[in-house]
Amino acid sequence: MLSRTADHLFWTARYLERADFLARILDATTRLTALPASYGRPGNEWESAVASSGCAAGFYALYDGANEYTVRDFLAFSPTNPSSIRNCLSVARNNARAVRTALTIEMWEAINDAWLELRRFDAKAMDREEFARFLEWVKAVSLAFEGSSHRTMLRNDAYWFTRLGTAIERADNTARILDVKYHVLLPATEQVGGSLDYFQWTTILREVSALTAYHWVYRESVKPWLVADLLILNRQMPRSLTSCYETLVRHLDLIAEAYGMRGASQRVASTTLARLTGTRMEDVFQSGLHEFISGFIADNNRLGVTIAEQYLMP
Amino acid sequence: MRIRIAHVTAYHYDRPVKAVIQTLRLTPRAHDGQHILAWRVEVDGAARLSPGEDALGNRLHVLSAEGTLDSLGVRVEGEVEMLDTHGVVRGAVERFPETVFLRETPLTAPDEALCAFADAAASRGTRDRLALLHHLLEAIHREMTFDTEPTHAATTAAEAFALRRGVCQDLTHVFLAACRHLGIPARYVSGYFLRGDGVVVQEAGHAWAEAYVPALGWVGFDAANGISPTDAHVRVAIGLDYLGAAPVRGARTGGGAEALSVSLRIEQAAWQTQA
Repeated sequence: MLSRTADHLFWTARYLERADFLARILDATTRLTALPASYGRPGNEWESAVASSGCAAGFYALYDGANEYTVRDFLAFSPTNPSSIRNCLSVARNNARAVRTALTIEMWEAINDAWLELRRFDAKAMDREEFARFLEWVKAVSLAFEGSSHRTMLRNDAYWFTRLGTAIERADNTARILDVKYHVLLPATEQVGGSLDYFQWTTILREVSALTAYHWVYRESVKPWLVADLLILNRQMPRSLTSCYETLVRHLDLIAEAYGMRGASQRVASTTLARLTGTRMEDVFQSGLHEFISGFIADNNRLGVTIAEQYLMP
Repeated sequence: MRIRIAHVTAYHYDRPVKAVIQTLRLTPRAHDGQHILAWRVEVDGAARLSPGEDALGNRLHVLSAEGTLDSLGVRVEGEVEMLDTHGVVRGAVERFPETVFLRETPLTAPDEALCAFADAAASRGTRDRLALLHHLLEAIHREMTFDTEPTHAATTAAEAFALRRGVCQDLTHVFLAACRHLGIPARYVSGYFLRGDGVVVQEAGHAWAEAYVPALGWVGFDAANGISPTDAHVRVAIGLDYLGAAPVRGARTGGGAEALSVSLRIEQAAWQTQA
């Protein structure tokens, strides 16, 4: 396979995963801000939405403050934000079009229809209800794309690179949410278990659609260290860092097997997975949740660069 | 280097066994330089296998079977990708501070002769711990002869040292006893070793030691071969001594005498590596 093809497949999957993540952040933040102000929220949820998206610098260059309208505009529709939902969908579509023949008809239709339909949404005239419908639609687009790749693609390197793109972006997104919200997950000395905390924790779970999963796994009320455990170490949870790395290691191994050689990507992914599976939650809290997450984000970026150097560059 | 391992342990009993319980430390963890491509542990018959982890972070399986068994077999198959890290172990699971591994055990208790030997190796004028450990490794490798005859699983370090003979387990115990006598944390490692002479079928797994060097962390020392572990050493479990890292430990009720047969194949798998 040409490295160019692998590159386009990888980034198509990454951008669609990112669009889905942005839709989830916006959805969860809208819910959180609908709570009565008497819960005494410190800070501003819209600011933390911008921080989770990882494009705070670009945002404050354009707007004075974070509120529902500016953040919604920036994260969902802004043409100047390279990671807005609109840009994610159109970059994903451009990548997909460049390797149209490497995709199945179902995948191409999922992404091309989405791109055509995107024009139908008028950002200016959208009220809250319509915006909520828009977010649901974005999530449906990534479901359709990932579902059709799962159901229709040959299990060869094209499929594996698609999976790598999804998994690496997913790991990054989960880690970003944890990084922005880590202070609400720390075992604090005051006011633990207040209603505010409860809503913050459930928001984190909602952002990664894990609220139901949480109750299935732990069968008890929402506790911060269990939220962190679910999203970092739990192998059953498809968005947990461990689970994403199992996917990365498995597909990198398949690629290495098919190409007959292992390289730096396999080593980096395997090292990170070994660290995740050898870690216990008490160790993470002891050495610092924030340090752990920042270290992970750096490692994950390093893997992205390594994969690009090994496979995606001509 | 890619290594394929097939390890079958089979027990045949004179009379049927009522109950068996075993702890299997047969599953390696990945660390920098060791990647597990595939690994499976299987038992035949009606035995139950439940996975777990011990206090040191070793992966283990508890095997339990009840009823009337004439035989019991445990089959391990795996493939690992190894990189030579010059014996330095990084990225492994560490549950305790290194000083825990200063603890002496009955199997690694030194006697006067062994203490004197360790002191002699230490008195060669170096203050560098790594150089000292290499002196010690060399001295043990030179002094002791590899011989499967005179020792058994319960031979202590002092006994083996008095004989100047033993298998990898005994040489490792001598190394551990000497290190701990000198105040250097050291631990037992059980694993597999791909032989350099092309012999694929082996009689037993391998064992070596790891000692703690402040600037480097844990560094491996293979006293049986007189080298630090290379990419031919697959690291499976660690312990204070053989008993803590033993691949199989167990107990049973009934069964009379047992016959144990082990079949172990360790070979290099075809694989091109990227420079």
